[in-house]
Amino acid sequence: MKEFFYPTLDERQYKTVLPNGLRVLVQPRKGFSRKIAYFVTDFGALHTNFTLDGQQMRAPDGVAHYLEHKLFDMPEGDVTEAFSAMGAMPNAFTSPGMTAYFFTCTDHFDQCLELLLQFVSTPYFTEESVAKEQGIIAQEIGMNLDNPYYMCYVNLMEMMYRNHPVTVPVLGSEESIARITPQILRDCHRAFYHPSNMLLCVVGDVDPESVAAMAERILGNGPAPTVERQRHWDEEMTCKESYREISMQVASKGFQMGFKCEIVPEGEEGFRAEVVADLALETLIGESSSLYLKLYEAGIIDSSFGASFDTLEDLAMVAMGGDAEQPEIIRDAVIEEAQRIAREGITPEDLQRLKRSSMGRRLRRLDSFDGTCNNLAVYELLHYDYLEFPKVYEKITEDEIREFLSRVFTHERCAVSVVLPLE
Amino acid sequence: MIYTIPIAPGITLRCFPDDRFKQACMSIQLLRPVCRQEAGLNALLPSVLLRGCESAPDIRAIARRSDDLYGASIGGCVRRVGDWQTTGLSCGFVEDRFCLSGDQIMKPMTAMLRDLLLRPVLENGVFRQDFVETERKSLILTIESEINDKRSYAQSQLMRKMCSADSYAIPRLGEKEAVERITAEDLYAHYRRILKESPIEVNYVGSMKPAAVAELVTEMFRDVERDYVNLPDQTPFRDGGGGEYTEQMDVTQGKLAMGFVSPIWDGDDRVMALRLLNIIFGAGMTSKLFMNVREKRALCYDIGSGYNSAKGLLTVNAGIDCDKVTETRQEVMNQLAACQNGHITAEELDAAKQYLCSSLRAVYDSTGAIEYFYSMENLSVHPMTPEGLMAAVEQTTLDDVVAAARTLRLHTVYFLEGVNR
Repeated sequence: MKEFFYPTLDERQYKTVLPNGLRVLVQPRKGFSRKIAYFVTDFGALHTNFTLDGQQMRAPDGVAHYLEHKLFDMPEGDVTEAFSAMGAMPNAFTSPGMTAYFFTCTDHFDQCLELLLQFVSTPYFTEESVAKEQGIIAQEIGMNLDNPYYMCYVNLMEMMYRNHPVTVPVLGSEESIARITPQILRDCHRAFYHPSNMLLCVVGDVDPESVAAMAERILGNGPAPTVERQRHWDEEMTCKESYREISMQVASKGFQMGFKCEIVPEGEEGFRAEVVADLALETLIGESSSLYLKLYEAGIIDSSFGASFDTLEDLAMVAMGGDAEQPEIIRDAVIEEAQRIAREGITPEDLQRLKRSSMGRRLRRLDSFDGTCNNLAVYELLHYDYLEFPKVYEKITEDEIREFLSRVFTHERCAVSVVLPLE
Repeated sequence: MIYTIPIAPGITLRCFPDDRFKQACMSIQLLRPVCRQEAGLNALLPSVLLRGCESAPDIRAIARRSDDLYGASIGGCVRRVGDWQTTGLSCGFVEDRFCLSGDQIMKPMTAMLRDLLLRPVLENGVFRQDFVETERKSLILTIESEINDKRSYAQSQLMRKMCSADSYAIPRLGEKEAVERITAEDLYAHYRRILKESPIEVNYVGSMKPAAVAELVTEMFRDVERDYVNLPDQTPFRDGGGGEYTEQMDVTQGKLAMGFVSPIWDGDDRVMALRLLNIIFGAGMTSKLFMNVREKRALCYDIGSGYNSAKGLLTVNAGIDCDKVTETRQEVMNQLAACQNGHITAEELDAAKQYLCSSLRAVYDSTGAIEYFYSMENLSVHPMTPEGLMAAVEQTTLDDVVAAARTLRLHTVYFLEGVNR
């Protein structure tokens, strides 16, 4: 494997692409007990429309998540028990853009890794087990329906996006999952679980070469299927609706607000766009901004308030939210202040301070095994080497931040989703 | 290796020197007994202190100082163990070796903690009214917002019912009614009193040598007037009687919470057996509850158990279809009976032991986990190290686990029932 050294972070990373196409990344952590491995496929809830070896497929909504649940089944039983017998914890999650299977352990790393590679690459589904899963996932869907943050988010997406499938729940609906069959799961597995569509990422005190060797041995060298899928959805930079309310069993009024942004490209350019957005948000409404102080002291926002720049496949947005009685006042103040900063500019000292602070937080987060492994995987799928982040900060200019603020923070791009307590 | 260094009467520094991390962390905790009069005051205090100090009089000035310290994070720290509660501040910050040449963080960081904790902004000799008012409103909202997450709401309701005669009925953040009555005068008087009287624990994990940390911490508390009072001892569960409770709400999914009591609590030799039983029964990924109630019978999406060793309470939580409550309850009792009748395999016990040892070993892999583990253990009746706990795990037998299971008795059941949908 090829070794990379990042002196400012005091980190090393090993990388290779196996002959079967699998990308392998290892970040060794000498002197630590924990080990974490992510086995990720570039297949998420968005990818229901595809062709497999020339045949057109339209899988039911929620299929990626359903498949994630069912892959834990092996001919000899649920694979969780085998991990558990080694003191390891396996888990998985499905997001709109990807599905990740992972485990953490302190001992028996090699056996755990072997098991992870095996179960994810073994599609074993029976009519009976697939049918039984419907009860469990229906419960999970029910749990989401009672979650006010989730429902508020779903509304926000529906208001903001006309064509992008982010409006479809990752879990699907009770109706859509009822149409999932073992054959559909097998087709999806064949289309998207070939090593050439996947990534293996390990953080911990392990031998990088043996990780790569094991992946090659277990996953083999079979031919990749020919798959085409829809990965782009046309969207205008305006929202369908600007304001929506729902009532639920909550204690107080809460809101989520989104501003539509242009999609970011892959690679360093995309990461740079993310950092520009982060710094713009810190300048605009971070805790050291004058607007945050003003709204906080006036009691319009409280410590529950947060803002972030979020990206998904073919989608980017600024999201803000928290508990607040008057979300419209926050929206108007944010837009006005963004336009003011865009006109008047940011002092070099302020920019330097925010860059240092933002980089320091990213550096501290590298101590987290889970956070680091997740970041390495997510950015590798976007063809960006996350550990290069300090270099990107150096290049960012005040003009880029002003341009972002002026472009994004307008009423046309904004939607506000509100949850009210029941009467 | 942990170094315990007395700083002043009742003020103890615990240093865990470790240079493997990119960040260091420090917490300062004032130890208090849990009681109705104080819980809300202790929960409110850190957020008021974080509003401003003499050298950084508002949240913006504080945030700018954190930014200058390479994005250090500073937050309130309100925890509880048994009959004790803590209130204070904690922070995480980049290690000096990652800063631009010559920059040092630890010294300005401790100065900032000192300013926030000991030199608050005052108005007419007490905390600023507007600070107290907004933070009180915000705390009340946090307390009320418990209802937004139905699972933790059900668990809290279970605790309120189950612990009617015990301090555990008092929520960590206090009760809304008590918080509503707090004035700036009350809070300031309480603050002065607890600074003087409380045992104070300072925890540090990072690369700095203990002697150097001790010097900084001694400096920090130099001018604090102390008249230190010991905390009352931790006590076992006080039983005020159990019962069955159902509450109705407009929700899709019901939440079942079941509380069991055991005479085994901290300091008892059998605590480890009950911890392992909890993993086998409901807390592990392949627990009996998960494998049977969810996987085999598909009665729920999530189910799990937790064991609170400070009081000897074991609780089970499940999200279920409302018409399956009787079935689920019965299946939970069946699985407990299986444990009590010795239907636990050597493999189940071994997996539970590996799981627990693995999580204990991993304590040393994060500054936050080290700080949390040691500060919480130090508040318990019988503080242990991860190594000591792992040795206890190894010594526990299947018979011990079954015997521990037999001490459990169903005490209280709470059900949040969905209606109107």
